[in-house]
Amino acid sequence: MVQLTINGKLVEALEGTTVLRAAQMAGIHIPTLCDHKELTPYGGCRLCIVDVEGARVPMASCTLPVNNGMVVHTNSDTIKKSREFILSMLFSERNHFCPFCQVSGGDCELQNAAYHEEMTHWPIQPGWSDFTVDTTHPYFILDNNRCILCRRCVRACGDLVGNFTLSVAERGAASMVVADIDVPLGESSCIKCGTCVQVCPTGALIDRASVYQAHDNQLEEIKSVCVGCSVGCSTKIMVRNNRIVRIEGDWDGAVNHGLLCEHGRYDPTNESRKRITTPQIRKNGKLEPVTWEEALSTVANKLQPLTGDKNGIAAIASTRLSAETLTAFKELFADKLQSTLVTSIEEGIPTASVTRFAEKHEAFEGKLDVLRNADTVLCIGTNIHRSHMVAGFLFKRNLPKGTRLITIDPESSELDDMANVALKTKRGSDLALIRGLQAIIVKEGLGRTPLNLTDAGSLIEQAVSAAGVSYEELSQTAQLLARSISPVILFGKGITAQRDEALVEELYRLAVLVGAVDSERHGLLSIKGEANSLVASLLGLDTAFELNGQQVVYVALGDDYVSKSLIERVSKAPYVVAQTCYESKLTEQADVVLPVTMWAEQEGHYINLDGRTQSAQKAINAPENVRDNLLVLNEIATRTNMTMAADWQKAILTRKSSVTLN
Amino acid sequence: MSLLDMDERILKIVELADLRSTPITDLKEPDASGVDVGVLEGGINNTANEEVAHKMRDRAKILVALGDCAVFGGIPAMRNFCGAEAALKRAYVEAESNEPGSQVPNDPELATMTKTRAIHEVVPVDFNVPGCPPDADVIFHVLSELAQGRKPDLKDDLLHWH
Repeated sequence: MVQLTINGKLVEALEGTTVLRAAQMAGIHIPTLCDHKELTPYGGCRLCIVDVEGARVPMASCTLPVNNGMVVHTNSDTIKKSREFILSMLFSERNHFCPFCQVSGGDCELQNAAYHEEMTHWPIQPGWSDFTVDTTHPYFILDNNRCILCRRCVRACGDLVGNFTLSVAERGAASMVVADIDVPLGESSCIKCGTCVQVCPTGALIDRASVYQAHDNQLEEIKSVCVGCSVGCSTKIMVRNNRIVRIEGDWDGAVNHGLLCEHGRYDPTNESRKRITTPQIRKNGKLEPVTWEEALSTVANKLQPLTGDKNGIAAIASTRLSAETLTAFKELFADKLQSTLVTSIEEGIPTASVTRFAEKHEAFEGKLDVLRNADTVLCIGTNIHRSHMVAGFLFKRNLPKGTRLITIDPESSELDDMANVALKTKRGSDLALIRGLQAIIVKEGLGRTPLNLTDAGSLIEQAVSAAGVSYEELSQTAQLLARSISPVILFGKGITAQRDEALVEELYRLAVLVGAVDSERHGLLSIKGEANSLVASLLGLDTAFELNGQQVVYVALGDDYVSKSLIERVSKAPYVVAQTCYESKLTEQADVVLPVTMWAEQEGHYINLDGRTQSAQKAINAPENVRDNLLVLNEIATRTNMTMAADWQKAILTRKSSVTLN
Repeated sequence: MSLLDMDERILKIVELADLRSTPITDLKEPDASGVDVGVLEGGINNTANEEVAHKMRDRAKILVALGDCAVFGGIPAMRNFCGAEAALKRAYVEAESNEPGSQVPNDPELATMTKTRAIHEVVPVDFNVPGCPPDADVIFHVLSELAQGRKPDLKDDLLHWH
């Protein structure tokens, strides 16, 4: 511990802490602009300068490590005057027109810094040059006139997201934030995650959809969790007058620490489907609006007589629904109405084989945190950088720091360009390939644990021929993995869709062999699929949806999309009930349509891919005649004379989980 | 207009201070005997504005620049991106509403357009009061403080540049 004095107050801090962080922890405020708690310090704006006794000049506290006996003053007259001067320099560098900037009036950190110093004006006029405004991006605008070159966006795009699209071109007064080699943002390598917009302290990067719609202090902020995929990023939903103005990543989020991807930040507010606002029943071939009473009674009267009938009812639910809703769904259809075909629309593709393997090896999977200091990451059968983008950020950002990447997949992807080794394998060869990798490691004596393999030589040959890879590539992969200190293996649908438990077992063996899994580390993770993929699997909702003449099909779709394949299968059923929010091919065929709440209009629990339970909160009120997903299922239960008692927290314990639940 | 937004509070100001000249009273400028406080709004756009600024500075013991145009140059300052000549040409010659053959007025009695500047770039200013516009509370605060012989201190809710 280091002891120093700040403004006469004795402060203790760990060695290596900066003076700025030490001051902040001691409750002493130092104005900053380029600093951000999630980004590495840059020291560019100089606003955080402090007087250090014995130092020749004022020092930037954000990059100054604490020293024993340091005496720091943060608010002397010279420091105050210097801060005013620094801000004047910043304002006069570009054309900062406050009167009509949408962040002016409380949301601009630069302006607020000036207000903090009680500046009524600045003494030097701007240079009157015309900096470019880039409006080519679909979601945001870059106005270089308002940029203070703090590089927060550059640092976020690189250090947090690992995409490295943004950088600064030219030098001095001509410096500009550019994308790639100075191409329009809309044509760049930008993956539209919006993190740069979230970190920008001024109006240089602005969100097109929410601009001029409200100041931050006019918005209601609801903390929730994204239900776009199984990563479970924490969000802040900004609402005004029952309308979602903007979605932001929560910097305090346990999984994502402020990051979101396009699917979590922008897609949810870009809904183009038509909302259904009244229950409907098909009469004479046409869907007619009816009361809730009529709709629910009709459904109940159809379902109840089929209780216990083996081929009476088939039910399928979206995994975007909450744990409470999925539990009620399962209880109603599987336990009470005793249907033998009750599953989720994921049909266990991302999870079934993993949960089956967990019966032998409970909680064998690790947590996402393990990616933070992985020195080698193997991605097999997963397009994580597209399907679960924020999880991908967690290791992409470490690649320039030396983390190695291996990809194994039949298809090519952008991830291959960043990989040390990219194996393009033939479909269905995964088992042979994984055994081949094990064999090479055992043969070379590189295994961390003993593994008995009969005839390693032929296993290697089989791997090479079945997968269509060269021995050199296979060996390189094996060597990279085995020689790593903290390897992590990620696998996804490419593996689990084959529904072969043996694949998971062999991956587990490989993980143990290379030290990815041992008594201390669990560096093996399955990516799973949608928000409540894991919950659905633990509830047993992970079988294939193969209709066998069932008379009634109940689709609890919520706000999810319905695939062509599901539509084809459902079209063969004589009677279809659709519990859904939007018009779709499903509602075109449905006999009863029950309009329900979408993701922001309901609350419930979600368990992400590494076992973390989080809760989504209701942010807006649903249209008047729309009912909550869980409520609808309970009302059907009442009308079919069933009492529902299941508690989701107990219900998910009926099967062993592949990852520790907390 | 924003001055009048303070509604009946203006009566309190008039109790303490003598309003010698305003754009809407008979006397438009302070006379040679001078005033204690001169409030000038608007930026410096042409040579006539320069003269007014100098006159106000000479005749007012305390000069207050009121509003974003006076303090920063304001919206008219956007013309500095293209320059006075191009702006005049656009307005008087090129604009779709002009009759063909229109010319930029060049009567020698007219003031010449200059680069738009804040008042403090032309004469020293004692108090800058930003805002677009400064709201009634801000203007009332500034005038009442000055009328009572104090320096107006703009901060928190009274300090805004928009």
